Amino acid sequence: MTYKDRWLAWLFLAPTLVLLAVFLYYPMIGTFVESFYSTSFINPNPEFVGFEVYRKIIASREFSEVLWNSVLWTVGAVILQNILGFSTAMLLNQGLPGQGLLRALFLLPFILPGVVTAILWRFMYDPQLGLVNSLVVRLSDAENAVAWLASADTAMIAVIFTAVWKGFPFSMLIYLAALQSVDREQLEAATIDGAGPFRKLIDVIIPSVSSVILVNIVLTLILTFNYFDIIWIMTRGGPQDSTHIFPTIIYETGFGQFRFGEAATYGVFSILVLSVLVALYAIVQRTTSNRRATS
Amino acid sequence: MKRSKTLRILSVVGLLIIGLIVLLPFFWMISVSLKPATEPFAIPARLWPESPTLANYASAFRPEFRTYFLNSMIVSGASVVITVSLALFAAYSFTRGQLFALSFMLGAVVLAQMFPHAAIIIPIYKMMRSWDLLNSYTSLILSYVSITLPVAIWMLRGFLVKLPVSLEEAAAVDGASPMRVFRDIVVPLARPGIISVAVYVLIITWQEFLFALSFTSTNDMRTLPVGLNDFIGQYGIRYGELMASSVMVSMPVVAVFFFLQRYFVAGLTAGAVKG
Repeated sequence: MTYKDRWLAWLFLAPTLVLLAVFLYYPMIGTFVESFYSTSFINPNPEFVGFEVYRKIIASREFSEVLWNSVLWTVGAVILQNILGFSTAMLLNQGLPGQGLLRALFLLPFILPGVVTAILWRFMYDPQLGLVNSLVVRLSDAENAVAWLASADTAMIAVIFTAVWKGFPFSMLIYLAALQSVDREQLEAATIDGAGPFRKLIDVIIPSVSSVILVNIVLTLILTFNYFDIIWIMTRGGPQDSTHIFPTIIYETGFGQFRFGEAATYGVFSILVLSVLVALYAIVQRTTSNRRATS
Repeated sequence: MKRSKTLRILSVVGLLIIGLIVLLPFFWMISVSLKPATEPFAIPARLWPESPTLANYASAFRPEFRTYFLNSMIVSGASVVITVSLALFAAYSFTRGQLFALSFMLGAVVLAQMFPHAAIIIPIYKMMRSWDLLNSYTSLILSYVSITLPVAIWMLRGFLVKLPVSLEEAAAVDGASPMRVFRDIVVPLARPGIISVAVYVLIITWQEFLFALSFTSTNDMRTLPVGLNDFIGQYGIRYGELMASSVMVSMPVVAVFFFLQRYFVAGLTAGAVKG
């Protein structure tokens, strides 16, 4: 494409720009607008109420619970997923026999549909029939099986574990690609200097993939924060709201109770949290690419 | 040398533990789907059924399930074709076009990847309602194309920037029109990228749950994820049939993934590692 083919460049971009504008950017603005109106099932005509809904939601106990749960769910799942993903990538990067096959098998949870994952783990956690309790009963001599998803103390841990199970292969894949780019000569030099595997990890490997680690963490924070399927199917936000996060509360108030104004307000709050993460992502991206450019 | 040997043993042990955690649920899913209804699920559970049977599959493959399956194929199939084509056009403009606003627009595409679907779904729902598109394939296909386009463009752009410009320039010098250059040179060369993007869109749309749950209201329009979710209530504790359905829902994407794994992995990591 040369400069005089600009019309073609525009033509090629046009459908994409229209779709993004109509179905992503316009609804983004629409959510803000919607949050200033109040609608309910009894009164379906939107009524402008200004910041009234915001005031109501911020004052509610539910809001602080949802905020806290979202932090717990997102940070918990992301830390565990990245630690497990990085360790697995390290283990799969040593030239052991059969590691190609293992990599493919480890990717299975990642391609398994979210709904299937959630149903499968709901079943795994079933107090009477589930495998988790079978193992717990067999391994320790616990008398009573734990109702993982039915108790407010364990439900969050249970859904986080499921999210890590499904999400870690993605992190593993990214880390594997990054580990393959670590300078071999530098590793050999470290070996000659008598560095053990642990020293090599700290002094050579982690510094050279640190930018990928940062980007990966922020990326998985964003993906996990927005993830709806697992929690909705496994607990619907319960018991006693102990696993309600932004996406589930938005769906429940919006489509369960048709209180679109409140749902949109929760939406605005989730957008605000996300903007912080996206800004973080942009900063991490910029500093790491600068570092790469100067080194 | 002794230390490296212990390290190898530890690595193998580590991989075995991770492998067990990853694969045990799959094993359990398949095992339960093959269990005859007469075999009890006592604790401690039997890991493998005494007399495996396909009866659960036969009863789970009922008319509703076939409808959901067909709906999913239509919606995912259309989304894959449309997204890949539009992304290819857009990615080509982004790599070779000479427009003033290009980097700004690329920024808008990248940003759109991160939009929370739950937060923007209510305005989209209202739009679909006013266009009378709720409970239709069109509403789902439009949404799926829009949500998968940003990442698809990003992945394809990663492929296209690596293609040498010289081929395109040579063809242009020989008098090929820009449209012909695109069709006869760029598209064939971008094949690995196209395949990996197609797999990505298939994986995402085959499991998409939030939009399908919100936009479809009748059984004849439901896709597999929503239909499967409905089965939880209908089957009660008939886990055999539920697991058989789950296996059947997962089969197509798992199969596609295993055949095209190489392309997909390359596409995903190229986009992500490069940033």
